[in-house]
Amino acid sequence: MRIAWRGAELRLLLPIFLLVPLGFAITNVALTGVFDGGPLHLAIGYVALLVGAHLLLVVLGHRGDQLILPAVGAMGGIGMIMLNRLPQDLAGTSAFGIELGMAATQLLWFGVGMIAMLVIAVGLRDDGILRHYKYSWAAAGILLLGATLLLGYEVNGARLWIDLGPVSVQPGEFLKIVLVIFIAGYLAETRTLLTSARLRIGFLSIPPLPYFLPMLALFAVVMLIVVRLNDLGTALLFFGTFLTMLFVATGRRSYVLIGLILFVVGFTVAYQFFGHVQTRVDIWLDPFADPLGAGFQPVRALYALGRGGIFGEGLGQGLVTLGGGLTIPYVHTDFIFTAVAEELGLLGAFALLGFAAVLVFRGLRIAALARDDFSGLLAVGLTASLGLQTLIIIGGNTKLIPLTGITLPFVSYGGSSVLASFIMIGLLLAISHKSAIGADVDAGS
Amino acid sequence: MIATNVRRLGLYLMLSFAIVSGSIAWWQVVEAPQLATRGDNPQVIAARRSLPRGTIFDASGQVLASSEVIDGLSRRTYTDTAFTHVIGYSSLRFGSTGIERSYEDILVGQTDPNPIRELVGDVLNRQPEPRDLVLTLDRRLQDFAAAELGGDAGAVVALDPATGAILAMVSTPTFDATPISGDPDVAQEPMDALRNNAAEPLLPRARQGLYVPGSIMKVFTAAAALDAGAITPDTTFPDQPREESEGFVVDGFTIREHDLGGIAPALWPLSPALQVSSNIFFAHVGLALGAEPFLAYARQFGFCAPMEIGPSDRALGVAASYLTAPLEGDCGPFTGDVELASASFGQAATQVTPVQMALLAAAIAGDGVMPRPYVVRDVRAHSDAGTPSETVLDTFGSGGGSRVVSTEAARATRIAMVDAVNGELGRLFAGQGDITLYGISNQRAAGKTGTAQLGGEQAPHSWFIGFAPAQDEAVPQIAVAVLVESGGSGSGRAAPIAGRVMAEWLRLASGG
Repeated sequence: MRIAWRGAELRLLLPIFLLVPLGFAITNVALTGVFDGGPLHLAIGYVALLVGAHLLLVVLGHRGDQLILPAVGAMGGIGMIMLNRLPQDLAGTSAFGIELGMAATQLLWFGVGMIAMLVIAVGLRDDGILRHYKYSWAAAGILLLGATLLLGYEVNGARLWIDLGPVSVQPGEFLKIVLVIFIAGYLAETRTLLTSARLRIGFLSIPPLPYFLPMLALFAVVMLIVVRLNDLGTALLFFGTFLTMLFVATGRRSYVLIGLILFVVGFTVAYQFFGHVQTRVDIWLDPFADPLGAGFQPVRALYALGRGGIFGEGLGQGLVTLGGGLTIPYVHTDFIFTAVAEELGLLGAFALLGFAAVLVFRGLRIAALARDDFSGLLAVGLTASLGLQTLIIIGGNTKLIPLTGITLPFVSYGGSSVLASFIMIGLLLAISHKSAIGADVDAGS
Repeated sequence: MIATNVRRLGLYLMLSFAIVSGSIAWWQVVEAPQLATRGDNPQVIAARRSLPRGTIFDASGQVLASSEVIDGLSRRTYTDTAFTHVIGYSSLRFGSTGIERSYEDILVGQTDPNPIRELVGDVLNRQPEPRDLVLTLDRRLQDFAAAELGGDAGAVVALDPATGAILAMVSTPTFDATPISGDPDVAQEPMDALRNNAAEPLLPRARQGLYVPGSIMKVFTAAAALDAGAITPDTTFPDQPREESEGFVVDGFTIREHDLGGIAPALWPLSPALQVSSNIFFAHVGLALGAEPFLAYARQFGFCAPMEIGPSDRALGVAASYLTAPLEGDCGPFTGDVELASASFGQAATQVTPVQMALLAAAIAGDGVMPRPYVVRDVRAHSDAGTPSETVLDTFGSGGGSRVVSTEAARATRIAMVDAVNGELGRLFAGQGDITLYGISNQRAAGKTGTAQLGGEQAPHSWFIGFAPAQDEAVPQIAVAVLVESGGSGSGRAAPIAGRVMAEWLRLASGG
């Protein structure tokens, strides 16, 4: 193992090292009227985590993509600034006799997440464990889902959480990763055998059974999530990720179209028969019909966007609380984006979306450069999952699609979300590293 | 390899990012100005927390709503719960509703009612000055009507048919808006209690309640058919006397008469048919008019679309009244002659608001001109004295009316409505109580009862619409609609209330 200098990564991280503490300082002055240091140690801790991750990658000779960590670091930095700015009693932990506020807890999870990322990015030299045991992964996924169905408890109308003593976890966050691994393995194995076989009905070509059956199975899982767990966002994310991977594996737009038709039909049926689905859609169509009741959250989110305007109200100057209550309930998880857009304006919102786009397009680049189908499809799945999750929650916040309760990766508060997202980054970096090594071998160096 | 497909995927994702960017920009740039002025925007609520807010007076100068600033927070006090559904509330916690909302910028002085001063004020960057409002509602009549409804759920709407000025608009059950509008720290609990109350006290029934009208719709059917020439006041239908007992078969479906109370069926023209409220007669009238003209007249009268009280930019909303199943914000087509015949006597899919029905009565009282209703009379300089300032800054007045049927058609309908209350047959049906105004006024009323059958075990809604004075050449001064939810027959509950409300107004108007 020899040292691999990662100059581009370091240069891109430098502004973050400056801007995150600056953001904390501005927030501190805006909220208290003077600069008293405030929770600046959290910003320094965050910078230290990024420095540590960068140095470890260098020392351990990691040759993976150098734009991913800066993109993640920027999103996480914006998230930390916002979470530090919100009331700290919204969430937190009290483990080992230490009371931690929301931002401190999130920082702790970033630490855990980055360790997981590094272990996977560096340690996963052989992807056989992922590729060959794909049915074991599928079984693990079904176990996770079953556990949620049986043991899960409800928060905000959706049954997503399992209580594990000191921490509560959202199995859906990890189910996402397991499913992507399984689908990548499955499609990589079957795609070469089956590209020629196809059935035609009218203008649609029906996928051959080996594609069609897992599609149906996954569709069943997704509908189960919608109906039993009332988690529209996760359902949309799973199915969207699967269709994206199917498209990349086969290049057939019609398969995606069939999948979408299935989703729409299933969704329409769910709409007819399940009140909670109907309510969601009705609120989406006209949130202003009941701005103080059912439409409260989405309407308040739109107001926050409007208040932000182009330039934003400034860090620490948004209207987060009013008369003792939050202006938007769940602002730290489902609506963190609107808080960013309110204080940093359209420019800040675009910047955040831009960082997500960088992450997505670097992820796709990793997929395109992958040395084998499995790695490529895995990279596509991980990237699509992170990208779609970002688009779904921001689209929900801006009334583009019905609002769903999923997190904005690296920005929303939440241990499960942060850890799962970093695991996915770790996998992407591992694939990227392997391609770089493989390219060297090809070049005979 | 998959690299080509990844590149294509990249294009789709880029497109998705662009669409999401567009939706962010839509709210942050395009819609931002509209969002900024909405009453429930926390920014607006926050800005108004500390601003003094103008007083609201009734037409006779009594204080209905006033504010004081306590600990830097503006708190609202309401003096009379009978007005809650008109004035609304101004809450530090929940935003504002009703007049508090539609006139909010004037009340807190963020807009000057005079456009030139508004412009100058912008240049001078003046401090907001509160303004007061004077309503057209008269507290004496409003309280009287509220007391008449008592503990029942229902609504009374009374207006001046000549100007459209609303004299009383009561919805029951009502609630006290002061706890919601006072100290924001303790406002949540009373609001939750109101939201969870099964009697729905938050619903402004006069404007937003939709009810089957029953026979009061016959006034509309008559006026429309007379105007179109489909009937004259003397038109009769030869089969009608037989059908009163045997039923009127339309498309194989038998329409049956309600209980005529022992009155022997005869060949009735309009006046006796309205007096006994013959469903068979009005089914014939509706069919003679035809489905298309029926709906066209309905639209002229304001049905089939939401209505507004006051100028459009400051309107109190009124829910759309429908005669058929709604289709794309309009009345859909009739499913057939059975539905048309049933709608002609106010059943089938017909759903109306009390405000709409009061305007129907006002249109007949106004010789075919339906007034545009309004509820805020003028804007005054702020006064702390407990009486309105003499300085009138802006007057809202009548927005003018629109002719919906000819004077002749309205007059013929009016004569039938006078008979429905005072005629020999009408008094058997509707005129047993105070509605004739005998004994409580030296005037006569015109009107029509409605007993809206709801099916099943539910007691029918009790309705009355009418106006007074209505005898001979008298100029009507008040038109009313009274609804009592599940109040039984129209003549039993709604008609006496309407009679007493009209008599009270005539008494008040004559200085009595």
